[in-house]
Amino acid sequence: MTMRIKGLTVSYTDGDHSLLALDGVDLTLSPGRITALVGESGSGKTTLGKALIGLLPENARIRGRVCLDGSDILELSEKERNRYRWQRISMVFQDGQAGLNPVMRISDQIAEPLIRRLGYGREEARPAVQRRLEEVGLDAGLAKRYPHELSGGQAQRVLLAMALVLDPEYLILDEPTAALDATTKNFVFSLLRDLKAGGRSLLLITHDLELVSGVSDDVAVLYLGQIMEAMPAGELLTEPMHPYSSALVRSFPGMDTVRDLGGIRGDAFYRFTHVHSHRDGSVHEHTHVKAPGTVHEGGHAPLEGCLFEPRCTQAIPECRTGDVGFTAAGSHSVRCLRGGIVAMLVMEGVCKSYGSVQALESTDLTLKAGEVFCIVGETGSGKTTLAMVAAAALGPDRGSRLFEGRDMDLWRRQDYRSLARRIGIIYQNPGEAVSHRFSVFDIVAEPLRIQKASFGPEEIRNRVVSALNEVRLSSAPEFLKRYPHELNMGAIQRLCIARALIHDPVMLIADEPTSSLDPSVQAKVLKLLLGLQIEKGLTMLFVTHDLGIARKVADRIAVMLAGRVVESGPAKRIVNHPSHPYTEMLVESAKGTAAPSLRIEVGGNQDEGICPFLHRCRFATERCRRRYPEVAALDGGHHLVWCWNPRRSSSIMDWTQG
Amino acid sequence: MDFETLRKLSRDPWFGAGMAILSVVAALILLGPVLSPYDPYDMGFRPLSPPSSGHWLGINDGGMDILSELFMGLKNTVFFGLIAASAGLTLGALVGLSSAVAGGALDRFLMRMADIFLAVPPVMVLILVAAFFRPSPRVLALALAFLGWARSAKVIRAQARVVNGALHVKAARRMGGGRVYVIARHLMPEIFPLYVIGFAAQLRVAVFMEASLSFLGLFDPSRKSLGIMIHYALRYYYMDVWIHWLLPPVVCLTLLIMASTFLAVSLEKVFDPRLKETV
Repeated sequence: MTMRIKGLTVSYTDGDHSLLALDGVDLTLSPGRITALVGESGSGKTTLGKALIGLLPENARIRGRVCLDGSDILELSEKERNRYRWQRISMVFQDGQAGLNPVMRISDQIAEPLIRRLGYGREEARPAVQRRLEEVGLDAGLAKRYPHELSGGQAQRVLLAMALVLDPEYLILDEPTAALDATTKNFVFSLLRDLKAGGRSLLLITHDLELVSGVSDDVAVLYLGQIMEAMPAGELLTEPMHPYSSALVRSFPGMDTVRDLGGIRGDAFYRFTHVHSHRDGSVHEHTHVKAPGTVHEGGHAPLEGCLFEPRCTQAIPECRTGDVGFTAAGSHSVRCLRGGIVAMLVMEGVCKSYGSVQALESTDLTLKAGEVFCIVGETGSGKTTLAMVAAAALGPDRGSRLFEGRDMDLWRRQDYRSLARRIGIIYQNPGEAVSHRFSVFDIVAEPLRIQKASFGPEEIRNRVVSALNEVRLSSAPEFLKRYPHELNMGAIQRLCIARALIHDPVMLIADEPTSSLDPSVQAKVLKLLLGLQIEKGLTMLFVTHDLGIARKVADRIAVMLAGRVVESGPAKRIVNHPSHPYTEMLVESAKGTAAPSLRIEVGGNQDEGICPFLHRCRFATERCRRRYPEVAALDGGHHLVWCWNPRRSSSIMDWTQG
Repeated sequence: MDFETLRKLSRDPWFGAGMAILSVVAALILLGPVLSPYDPYDMGFRPLSPPSSGHWLGINDGGMDILSELFMGLKNTVFFGLIAASAGLTLGALVGLSSAVAGGALDRFLMRMADIFLAVPPVMVLILVAAFFRPSPRVLALALAFLGWARSAKVIRAQARVVNGALHVKAARRMGGGRVYVIARHLMPEIFPLYVIGFAAQLRVAVFMEASLSFLGLFDPSRKSLGIMIHYALRYYYMDVWIHWLLPPVVCLTLLIMASTFLAVSLEKVFDPRLKETV
């Protein structure tokens, strides 16, 4: 028996205001499956759970259908609803202590449904209570206690025991692990798996993404009451396709996450519908947006178009007005006009040589919208060349470049200035990247002056001031008149960042932006840069020779050697499980644990068609000497390595993670 | 040039000194006809008279009032120098900048031309031109400019190429800055010191060249200029005339060159912000 939720819409009314909590949710709960519901606070997760169990407050208006056994449980009378509640469907609430009656013993509380619904006697109920307590991993002796004598984690599990006592087919768990420590959490993981194996259907409301990927089968990502993406749970962490899912994953502190947590740009808001009754009797209804914790604020909510558009990293004008339906993409179903996360830049087979030096051998690179992609490699490995080719600052000898779906070479020829507005570049040496004859104001205003057609002096001034504020520099008139030689390197690099961002580009190319700064300044500039990347939803290509920095900033990393990418994949994979011997050496060198013999040589051999790492490689075989390695795909195809003998020594982790 | 720059300039002693000399010279040139006690071409006085109350600087060998001659000569020399220097420098800057920005075949062609012009001794060519074509001093100044552009073109090209390859210029191009923008906002300010220094140097060369040509008698001998005055005065070195006849044009020439040097130094300081604090 499956429970089908169709077009479930819930709004809370308060006077002439109503808050839209759920908006047309479709979801299917099947026996023997765990469905997870994730999303930020206020996305409507708990409302959905309460709607299913029929415990919404009086002021809730519900529309839609929830079909179970051919009938709509939303239509049931209070009496019928009481019967199916706890017996067929039950819910474990989030706050353990608050869900328990403080003046009743635990045993009595767990036994209550048995006594009241099934007519058990108190003594009859006792063995069942003990069995449930053991099932949730609690000592049967706890039964005699009062709720205040329990810890938060124990109370949580007592609630679970209560919910299970009547053997319901459907179980809704609201943040079951939020109050638990890691070991107890692990126990709950296995308990959930057991429940699922027993044929129950579980709805897991959580923001713990590990719980999702660890035990769930399916996951639905909820934003402002709308499902944004539905997919197999195992793919949430590895290949989220909606920009919102991806941002959620980026905000989650998993154990193997290496990048600093970013969060999601902007704030979530609630949607309020405000009804005015006019004197002439007409009723006017309009919708406001309001960020949590603020007073009523103007601005009308997106009544059409995508709800996530204001915070999205890849929004296009059509997102504001278009009809956003679900697109099926493989096993995912994505509510996105653009069909999920798009590729900002796709480069295929780009080559570049300077005279006889082949700086770049046929290289592919794809930048996804909103991600930070790091290129790591030693001096002369072609990183900067690749970055400048990506920035349209250099033309490749061969190969194609597609930027925002347009042919970059064609775009460059037709209208270079409009292309230049979309791409910001930050250079390695800030002191040389600005003219020492330009004042602070002139430096930041330069891109606007170059594209002068559309800006008046007043607007230029306003935009320069706001750009300086964004990079946390003074915008006082005296500061605007300063010259670069009066500033320190960190401040000049901030100027360069302000200059690169003044046209609101979609892509930022940062070529070793902090390597000329001392460590404390470097930390501040990096933090600023990444904060801006999140807040502006930029796609960023970050070039560095320092793997330590790369792991802090990157979503994905590509390792380059002698003009080729030798390994690429998610940052956590590259850092935690390097598979190319060269990457492994880089990681070990960065940690200072590389064998001395491995550290002495730099540079790669450029012989035609052989692995550039060959003469430094400990694992080289006869095959390596004959042909350039084919690409090996690891981790479901996300992790690519160009090596005949990819290192699998540390890959045991892969199997346990499934 | 904004107000701030002017204020900084006015506080610079180099600029003050240069401007003071130049304004005196300009005043002498403008007011020359009024201040001159006599017509400089009037030969009706007793030749080689020493200074007296009627003739402050005495009379030259041709019976002309030296003071009146000095006013006229100063004007002619300054105009000759200005024409030659500005024309030569404009040509040089034009060639140097376009050579640096265009590169390739045009660059090679222009630089070979410059080499040829550098190999030709301008004095010899000017002697021939002056002797056979008898051009007006103005045309001769232009001829001098035409012969002298190569040096400044080479210097400006070298500097422009350096600046052209600088990261901030590349950055400006990548922001969409066109050739005109890059030349106007990045290259020109960067080669400004070369421009002013070059101008002072060309002025000096032109003034000396005029003196030399006059000395060789290739100008109309009746023409008035500082060079010609020096030329005639030196003929009478055995007489005691140097204080009132030789020294005035030499001092004027020196002051002229000093003024242009002072201004060059001061402008360079003001337009290069890195040197500004030392002003």
